[in-house]
Amino acid sequence: MTTTAPTTTPYRVTPARVLRSEWHKLWTLRTTWITLLAAAALVLAVGITMGSTYDGDDSDVDTVVFVLFGTQLSQICLAVLGILVTAGEYATGMIRASLTAVPRRLPVLWSKAAVFTAVAFALCLVTNVVTFLTAQIWLADTDKELALTDPGVLGALAGNAAGVTLLSLVALGLGALLRSVPGGIGAFVGAVLVVPEIVSTLPFTGVDAVVRHFPAQAATSLGSITRVQDTIAPGPALLTLALWALTVLAAASFLLRRRDV
Amino acid sequence: MIRAHALTKRYGGGRRRPRTAVDHLSFEVHPGTVTGFLGPNGAGKSTTMRMLLGLDTPTSGRCTVGGRAYATHSAPLTEVGALLEARSLHPGRSAYQNLMALAHTHGIPRSRVEHVLGVTGLTDVAGRRVKGFSLGMGQRLGIAAALLGDPATLVLDEPVNGLDPEGVLWIRTLLKAQAAEGRTVLISSHLMSEMAVTAHHLIIIGRGRLLADTTVEQFVRESGTGSVKVVSPEATRLAELLAGPGVTVESAAPGTLDVRGADAEHIGRTAAAHAVPLYELTPHTASLEQAFMDLTHHAVEYGTPGATPREAATAREGAAA
Repeated sequence: MTTTAPTTTPYRVTPARVLRSEWHKLWTLRTTWITLLAAAALVLAVGITMGSTYDGDDSDVDTVVFVLFGTQLSQICLAVLGILVTAGEYATGMIRASLTAVPRRLPVLWSKAAVFTAVAFALCLVTNVVTFLTAQIWLADTDKELALTDPGVLGALAGNAAGVTLLSLVALGLGALLRSVPGGIGAFVGAVLVVPEIVSTLPFTGVDAVVRHFPAQAATSLGSITRVQDTIAPGPALLTLALWALTVLAAASFLLRRRDV
Repeated sequence: MIRAHALTKRYGGGRRRPRTAVDHLSFEVHPGTVTGFLGPNGAGKSTTMRMLLGLDTPTSGRCTVGGRAYATHSAPLTEVGALLEARSLHPGRSAYQNLMALAHTHGIPRSRVEHVLGVTGLTDVAGRRVKGFSLGMGQRLGIAAALLGDPATLVLDEPVNGLDPEGVLWIRTLLKAQAAEGRTVLISSHLMSEMAVTAHHLIIIGRGRLLADTTVEQFVRESGTGSVKVVSPEATRLAELLAGPGVTVESAAPGTLDVRGADAEHIGRTAAAHAVPLYELTPHTASLEQAFMDLTHHAVEYGTPGATPREAATAREGAAA
């Protein structure tokens, strides 16, 4: 009724409130806790295993890459969570309630991306630091002994966290684009993890240069103290990866505005 | 106040054969009464409601709530509370957490969430995950979500689906109370009999087109099929008393009258005024169902071949008896 003047009600949708809502949504689902705990536990467990069994013959890999091998597993957990955050709402029908509450739609997607990015990065960073320090218990007095304050260590630990987070953000965007959890997981594994491997075998000049700019390859460059062979420098890699995530999210935003729910 | 103007939704196109779900539909829903949105399955009711909430974009035409498109309101949940046919809450979250997630977007306080849980009788199960809810509990939760923003307009798609008789009565009372407070209430159904007792106004559509925009009373009167069965020891005298323009009285058996053109209230009052004892006074709502089917039978999307609507109505009446 038109008699309900906007001034009579304190209720109003604001960007901060949509963020608050997405934060609430993330933490009130069991799958969030399971995937996050699994991601952290895998990195720590692999790190401990690598550290405690080290006998000094793996010296071609730098220490941070060595103790964080587990992030290849946690990457899958976090990508799945990213897909669940967006595509999961379509599977359950919650998206209708979400978009009825926020009919401008875009704040919902961007809030999801923001909340997820913050949570995933914080978790990865803490897990990486803890794993590094724990692994050092066994690595002391070997050629892989390093302190957190040694040059490049914190940067590589944070770089790894940023790489995993941004790749998972690509997954979140794929989930929003495809609106299906299995579709999102398939697309992420296929397009992000498998396709570059296939493309790199093509016998064309310049293929390697292109593949280096693919998301997973760019992420590899971020988590290392020394420059990894056949990758672009960490700075451009971070930029490249961020652009990938932004591109997928922009495409998802465009379709979110246009498509029926 | 809801206003739809030449609302059209077409699916497909290109190589696929286009299907018109809603076809130049125009209507208004006014505050203060419960309006029933009726039509056979596939008539376009849900599509219309989804367009109203901005979930589907109309192919052409437009609809407004409170004078503006739904998506342009700064606090949409206070403008329209909606219950959509398919479940639209997360089964892995508890009832309370689902409502809180929606409440946060508008800055709606926890006390309001607890209030609507109380109103819908869900306080005891608020902490349980929605996954384990029965159809009726899910429906109550959907209604709690619709009431969350204390909205000026309620749009409910098949609200009595899955509710037990007590629940049906509860929602009927609730909706009438909401309308009496000056709210606009639009509820869809494919059951005329349910609408006849809940709604005051009717918007009937078939194959996406408007078939009737009328009141329940007028619909009954104009369809000419509303009859009241009266049993009285002084049937002949009552028949004389009721006689008047537009009223036909037939007698199938001694002491039994079949009255058309006068409602049960009028018959009861007439009998009381003249001290005529009544043993039975039964309005035949099944005939309402029949009038509805007569109106929509050309527009049934998934009709049964061979069965005319009148036969189908008779069959249903027989089955119910």
